[in-house]
Amino acid sequence: MEDFIARYGFLFVTILQQALLGLSLYFPLMTGQLSLASIGFYALGGYVAAIMGTHPELAPLRETLGFFLYPLEWLVALAASTLLGVALGYPALRLRGIYLALATIAFVLTLGVVVLSLPIAGGAVGIFAIPQPFEDRLAYAWFFGPLLALTVFFLWRLERSGTGRLFFSIREDELAAAAMGVNVTARKVQAFVIGCALAGVVGAMSAPLLNTWNARQGTFDAAVACLAYVLIGGARSKWGALLGAALLVSLPELLRPLKDSRMILNGLVLVLACVYMPQGIAGLFARRRS
Amino acid sequence: MRRLLSCLALLFVLAAPAMAEPVAKPIPIGIAVATTSNVALFGEEQVNGARIAEAYFNAQGGVNGTPIKLVIQDTAGDEAGAVNAFQSLISAKVVGIIGPTLSQQAFAAAPLAERAKVPVVAPSNTAKGIPQIGEYISRISAPMTVVAPISLKKALAINPNIKKVAVLFAQNDAFSTSETSVFQEAIKTLNLTMVSVQKFQTTDTDFTTQVTAILGARADLVVISGLAADSGNLVKQLRQFGYKGQIVGGNGLNSPNMFPVCGALCEGILVAQAYSPMAELPVNRDFVKKFTEAYKKAPAQFSAQAFTAVQAVVEALRKAEKDTKKKITSMELAEARQAVNKALLSGMVIHSPLGEISLDRQGEVIQKQFYVSTIKMNPDKKTGAFVLTK
Repeated sequence: MEDFIARYGFLFVTILQQALLGLSLYFPLMTGQLSLASIGFYALGGYVAAIMGTHPELAPLRETLGFFLYPLEWLVALAASTLLGVALGYPALRLRGIYLALATIAFVLTLGVVVLSLPIAGGAVGIFAIPQPFEDRLAYAWFFGPLLALTVFFLWRLERSGTGRLFFSIREDELAAAAMGVNVTARKVQAFVIGCALAGVVGAMSAPLLNTWNARQGTFDAAVACLAYVLIGGARSKWGALLGAALLVSLPELLRPLKDSRMILNGLVLVLACVYMPQGIAGLFARRRS
Repeated sequence: MRRLLSCLALLFVLAAPAMAEPVAKPIPIGIAVATTSNVALFGEEQVNGARIAEAYFNAQGGVNGTPIKLVIQDTAGDEAGAVNAFQSLISAKVVGIIGPTLSQQAFAAAPLAERAKVPVVAPSNTAKGIPQIGEYISRISAPMTVVAPISLKKALAINPNIKKVAVLFAQNDAFSTSETSVFQEAIKTLNLTMVSVQKFQTTDTDFTTQVTAILGARADLVVISGLAADSGNLVKQLRQFGYKGQIVGGNGLNSPNMFPVCGALCEGILVAQAYSPMAELPVNRDFVKKFTEAYKKAPAQFSAQAFTAVQAVVEALRKAEKDTKKKITSMELAEARQAVNKALLSGMVIHSPLGEISLDRQGEVIQKQFYVSTIKMNPDKKTGAFVLTK
């Protein structure tokens, strides 16, 4: 048992973390908007936490706060992500469909180059030796677990609230929603910013988990991986992101005994999932229920 | 009764890991490098080098008669993958780990080995602060602080009229950014003028902006710190736009993978190397011979470094047996891991394909020999060689 926990503890935490990132994409998807920006905010949140955790000038602050430094990092990341999310969201969400996706990719790439040019972010090596709140990686479940539970609960309430229904109305038919008097842009920005804020906080929690933070965390590849969680899991249900992340993150690890052929099998499973489950894994459950 | 039995069986399984564990025979050594993802090109070279080392040292009798066995785990190109591979190797009861491929991955994964008290020898991490991660972390890959200035002096020896230098570096590559600062420092000490500093990304293919700026600055020496594919394209475009002067490349250009990219235009580049297959050392001659037989090409630096890392662990195992007067396989795992680390950091001299190297108390490598080579292309314009500059 001890061995099992040591071996798969980090994997379990990674699943929670990636599921949260997947959920951060689900918020804009509630309004039917395909955004890849989450990973940029994730990187931003991580940098906030990494700088607050290691910058020499902040040493007195760290000493006075102790463990409360971590919640403060989350709050700062939340504030920064929200501000940037609003600033990015208003112009970007006037775009539709593929153009919005492109704009968000452009944002992710720009952020990457900006970060590489900022001396405070440590250049290509990034920032390392970030203070750790826990010895054991599994203990990070105390960070990600409650956040995930909170997010799912929030989504559950949101989907049943007026705001949630407004979101869904835009997803089903944007023109009709606008004709009914829904402030389409404002609602889209609202959903987008919630997703950005969530990704920022997840990033702030992840920097201590990885012990290091660099520009490679916020790449286009990572953005596509997050999108894959939602698409494989099911884009029309909040459980989709969770299931997708669990499958995609754990599969390469569980297949590790297969050595070199594991990535082939991994790819095969993904292709089959796309072909035979167009509604994602969550779609499969929904069909069975109905 | 059956329920009771299964309960007992479960209890036994749970209790098993708590018992003392001996070292397995053959002695398992972990290799955690990137054999998939966009770093796989390097990871494959590392695996090839390590495999040659496994066969080579086992043919010598392994660790005083006990053979070694490599346990290879893929880290992929990211930090989480490196953590998982390290964790998997620690659970596989290896006596030491060689890896990971990238410095950034080391910052994420090495603390794990440090906590588990498993010695790590980094074969290709050159960023500042790697041996400082902990007591159990060391490396055999040297940063380019010595060789960079030498390669500049060679360029000056070829053309003493060089005055204006342009510097280019891959901004998103950890190795290149640290190497360029060494180059820039050396340019200042040599009283040369730095007329332009240009950045690029390792994923770039179009370098028009950078090349135009350099031609505009009328540089008569160009210094490049990047990786094989991007630097190859950069050199190609520099030449095609009409740059005639000398080009000095950093250690990232020390790869035959660059030849097909810039073809005949690679000719004459001076390259600073931490390893040269042409180095006249007995162990290097053996290594190059075995490697060429197995893979039909000369070993790249990553392969030689992986070989050296395995060699360091093997020699540490031998030394540990000698110092403790006990067989490694009769030790408990934790004891063996500790003994290996102690031997690694004891300052023992390793005669490796990289030349004579040793590790200091902190685990930082001390490498004596570096090389400067000139690229000579073959008439087929696709293959070439690094010829040592006299």
